[in-house]
Amino acid sequence: MSTEQTEAIVLRMVEFSETSLIVTLYTRDLGRVSAIAKGARRPKSAFDGALDLLAVCRIVVICKTSDSLDLLTEAKLQRRFRAGQRSLVRLHCGYYLAELLRLWTDAGVASPPLYELALRTLAEIDGDQDALRAILRFELRGLQILGHFPALDECVSCGAAVDPPLVRVPFAYQLGGVLCAACRPRHREVGFVRKALFGLAKQLAGPDEADPELAAGDYRDLRATLSRYIQTQLGAVPRTQSLLPTAWVSH
Amino acid sequence: MSEFAGSVNDLVQQLGRLPGIGRKSAERLAFHLLRVPKAEALALSESIRRVRENIHYCADCFNLAEQTRCELCLDPGRNRTLLCVVEQPRDLMSLEQSAAYRGLYHVLLGRIAPLDGIGPDQLTIDALVDRVAGGGFQEVIMATNPTVEGDGTALYISNLLAEFPVKITRLARGITAGSVLEYANKEVLADAMTGRRQW
Ligand SMILES: [Zn+2]
Ligand SMILES: [Zn+2]
Repeated sequence: MSTEQTEAIVLRMVEFSETSLIVTLYTRDLGRVSAIAKGARRPKSAFDGALDLLAVCRIVVICKTSDSLDLLTEAKLQRRFRAGQRSLVRLHCGYYLAELLRLWTDAGVASPPLYELALRTLAEIDGDQDALRAILRFELRGLQILGHFPALDECVSCGAAVDPPLVRVPFAYQLGGVLCAACRPRHREVGFVRKALFGLAKQLAGPDEADPELAAGDYRDLRATLSRYIQTQLGAVPRTQSLLPTAWVSH
Repeated sequence: MSEFAGSVNDLVQQLGRLPGIGRKSAERLAFHLLRVPKAEALALSESIRRVRENIHYCADCFNLAEQTRCELCLDPGRNRTLLCVVEQPRDLMSLEQSAAYRGLYHVLLGRIAPLDGIGPDQLTIDALVDRVAGGGFQEVIMATNPTVEGDGTALYISNLLAEFPVKITRLARGITAGSVLEYANKEVLADAMTGRRQW
């Protein structure tokens, strides 16, 4: 049993009893944590309104060594997620970010770069930036940090360089990358992806200076391809993914 | 688990399923019910039976009701141009206790919570839109909880109601009366500043 202090994003809350909540957090230093917050539903609690979805807070948590739930003893609000007061698109982007973080991460495995990325994306969604682009960038950079970024230059099956003079390139969603002409017939779950999207995906995942222009068609195609890719990689459809607009809308 | 007679054990288990009641408390309550006069114990069971058999949701507002319509909807003294939207019947009860509101209500029976798989169709939003479309209301007050999901639910409904000639308002939030600015949390101050109103 040890007492830890760190910063966290609230991903999910489930009512546990009349007065307590089970909170799922993504923390900077402890990875994903599920902890019980006793008395959190009482009017005057040690959590003082900090425990709401996507809130960023400083927390104190007592980590149990056994299988039992960790105990959240304190949460101090740093920043509340307010997009739900003004834009459903921004709100839905926030829900999706929370769900992806929960599905992508494991208990106790910390990744400060992923935490920083999530924090930054949250600020963009809740601010005035293009939230739909921010989510695309979050997904692509997240895949990169987690080591699941698709192979776009070499055949994911045999490693041969792939640069066919085609507009659409065979892409293996399960294996996670493009296929050369020789390997393509041997694989299932193959789709044809517009080659121009690869450059855009690499730019979005790369340093900020490379931030590309996205035409309406680019957003639509990237959104569809990335949604399918993430579903295939997770082996499940995130339930909030369908809330993301398939075509870019102002928000 | 079976140190008592079958029916006593059964009662302990039933009581133990209630929120906030552990095994020890359940035993205490069970023995209390055995000790009090029989009529008193049976009055409790009769109350539970009556509540479960007679209480349902009001056909208009989805508050708890004993008849087709709840007491508030039937009360001729209520202001029928004001409609206050809440998540749960217990929120309605809290607002009633404040005695600051004399209009009608609409209970959503939940909030939109996509992360928990709860969408607008699982709430009473269609019925709310029908009520507002029916005319007569001048103002709809969104009194869902001031949480991410409560705000999102209020925003979703406000968008649906935008086509009707009603004023849509949201409950104010911010600094607690009797506290001082110096010690108010900055998020609370931001809420109060955003929600400021004409003097
Ligand atoms: Zn190959
Ligand atoms: Zn009613």
